[in-house]
Amino acid sequence: MTALRPRWFEDVMVGEALPPLEFDVTLTSLVMYAGATWDFHRYHYDPEFVAKLGMPAPFMDGQMVGALMARQLMQWGGADAFVRKLNYRQRGTVYVGDRIVLCGTVSDKSVDEGRALACCALTVTKTDGTEIVRDANAAVELGRRP
Amino acid sequence: MSTHITDELKSWIGREATYTAPEELGRASIRYFAMALGDDNPLFYDASFARDTRHGGVIAPPTLVCETNQIFQNPPDGNGYIGHNWPLPLPSSRFIRGGNEYEFHQPVRGDDLITVTWRIVDIFERETSRAGVVIFVLSEARYTNQHGDLLAVNRETNIHQP
Repeated sequence: MTALRPRWFEDVMVGEALPPLEFDVTLTSLVMYAGATWDFHRYHYDPEFVAKLGMPAPFMDGQMVGALMARQLMQWGGADAFVRKLNYRQRGTVYVGDRIVLCGTVSDKSVDEGRALACCALTVTKTDGTEIVRDANAAVELGRRP
Repeated sequence: MSTHITDELKSWIGREATYTAPEELGRASIRYFAMALGDDNPLFYDASFARDTRHGGVIAPPTLVCETNQIFQNPPDGNGYIGHNWPLPLPSSRFIRGGNEYEFHQPVRGDDLITVTWRIVDIFERETSRAGVVIFVLSEARYTNQHGDLLAVNRETNIHQP
């Protein structure tokens, strides 16, 4: 990977796009997340169980979508970044076999109680355009140029 | 509109449940979580890199703390679920996630010993175009460490379909 450097607040422009993040949803990736979070519900790995519920495949936990948004934000914000706020409304379900694309744009910049914050508007969609989250926004604290 | 919001159900608003983990979070838990997301950010595993950043050491990915599980003696239920659950008197357990609102107050580290307090903030019903009358359950989880520092707050909306 390329070295992770701080992204200085002073260099960020409103309207700037975050690098998109694509994620292929495999049974392996859902099992890894289930194991890492102690979430052993059969929703996330048992095809026969979810078929009985009328679902096409095991599906991603809603908080994993948030975790991927935070991954994108932390990578973009660099070594000094810290996500302060993240919120979203869940609109669609992500199944094994889907590829999802996370996009973001800087919507505002502010200094609040000494914290340099970049506010970002985020989207998560499947490659067929299905909306996974709505009203997704984050505030990322960034480093200041020394 | 028929109401599913009984007095018994409403009595759950404001209820709390607190759990403390029996051990520290651990750096390995942080690394596994990052790996599961395909995340190679060195802040989450490389101590020498992280030491020279504003964070001064390895930190956890932001939402990790909201996925930690402090319960360790309950066996999984019939569907494999393990962890905190409210036994709400709802007509059906079928639910979908409505969304999350996270606040992150300070980075979580491997030596944090985590306590969570869950609370039911509100329960109400609403007519929706997609699913008819549904019941919204708003809950909040507050995470602290052994020093009493507030780490994160996670407000969740679950939508139950009667």
